[in-house]
Amino acid sequence: MMAELVIFNGIAAVIQDAIVALIPLSLFFILFQVTYLKLPLGHVINLFKGILFTLIGMILFLQGVHIAFIPAGNAIGSFFSMNGKAWILIPFGFFLGMLATYAEPAVRILSDQVEHSSSGFIKGTLILYTLSIGVGGAVALGMARIVIGFSFLPLIIVGYIIAIILLWLSDRDFVAIAFDSGGVATGPMAVTFLMALAVGVAAGIEGRDPVIDGFGLIALIALAPILSILILGIYFRIKKVKSS
Amino acid sequence: MLGDVRDTLKEVIQAVAPIALIVLIILIFLTGSLLTDLVNYSLGVLMLTAGITLFLIGVNNGLLPMGEAIGSDLPKHGSIYLVIFVAFLFGFLATVAEPDVRVLTNMVEMVSNGGIPRDPMIISIAVGVGIFVALAMLRIVVGVPITWLFTGGYLIVILLAIMTPADYLQIAYDAGGVTTGPLTVPFILALGIGLSSVLAGRSALTDGFGLIGLASIGPIIGIMLFGIFV
Repeated sequence: MMAELVIFNGIAAVIQDAIVALIPLSLFFILFQVTYLKLPLGHVINLFKGILFTLIGMILFLQGVHIAFIPAGNAIGSFFSMNGKAWILIPFGFFLGMLATYAEPAVRILSDQVEHSSSGFIKGTLILYTLSIGVGGAVALGMARIVIGFSFLPLIIVGYIIAIILLWLSDRDFVAIAFDSGGVATGPMAVTFLMALAVGVAAGIEGRDPVIDGFGLIALIALAPILSILILGIYFRIKKVKSS
Repeated sequence: MLGDVRDTLKEVIQAVAPIALIVLIILIFLTGSLLTDLVNYSLGVLMLTAGITLFLIGVNNGLLPMGEAIGSDLPKHGSIYLVIFVAFLFGFLATVAEPDVRVLTNMVEMVSNGGIPRDPMIISIAVGVGIFVALAMLRIVVGVPITWLFTGGYLIVILLAIMTPADYLQIAYDAGGVTTGPLTVPFILALGIGLSSVLAGRSALTDGFGLIGLASIGPIIGIMLFGIFV
């Protein structure tokens, strides 16, 4: 990191980027508004105030990631790997993954949704713990892959094959929820900090390629809630059969 | 509106604070960072927290009602082709605007020293999401069971993985994770819920959902094909 305040470094590019990102959606809406919707003008102005909030929010978010989480993740990753203590990142990854999931509001909403779909058979707290441990395990596995150096392809293929098998065994209502839940753990925190951490570790360990070894963590994190919810779906199905 | 701001801010702080604090502690005690680095980091975290909060409030009051308005208006025109086409555009445009996609692709471009350029990656991801959102809509209309679509999609992903160059493989799967970001999810769900509530005889629970899961298969295939053919 640089020994000066860098909070506005590169902000012009970020602003331009955010504007370019939001223009297509806005034009699409205007086209629909003119041809079909014809909503009252006051309402449309309010909607565009929302877009303005989104724009400012996106600029602050991208800039914040750029000056806080990416350098911090890189620094911590290379600190552990260069001091020969890279293995610490495996339990540390487990802890971070678990904590991030436990603290994520979207996960709470999902837990309630699953409890509801199982008509209360499966408690929200059980889902919360399963998801937190599942994501923690995924991050630990992702870190272990970089530290020990095994390849990604067999890992992800086995993961997906297990998902396909579980999908046919699980309760049908749980299947849609499970696959939609892949996103709950890959929120902005995971994407920004954990990815930067992984890239930092891969850059710091001799013989690792940051492009090949630094990425892949998000994919493992996304798979964890899917497998967790599918397993809960099988558990629910068995419970349902037993009780009827 | 003010209550909205407070609730959203609370949720964002809840999600950001634990990790942000642990990282700060490590930066202070282990990596021996300079004071200016710590100030930069803390200011960055504040910007990020304010940014996500404003972003979510904006999505809830702008893009989300826009998506709902379009989603519930579409079936009135009675054309399945229009629905499928708009579904594609929804997926495509939401992905172009998705901040998580930008974070991943910026990072890839940086780490590969420009070897894997950002904009073609964003386009591949966006086309992938668009096609799969369109397929998901077609599924609701035609009535194909969701288990078949997931099985088919995952099998394609496994087969393509064997042919994908090593550099692109991990990135492709990561791309599947970042499309489920804070913009794409509510926006695509708005379209799905709008549509499936209008289509008679389809339950919103099993048909409206599954949309996000399907949408996240598209970018994996998109980046794999980009890697294979470029």
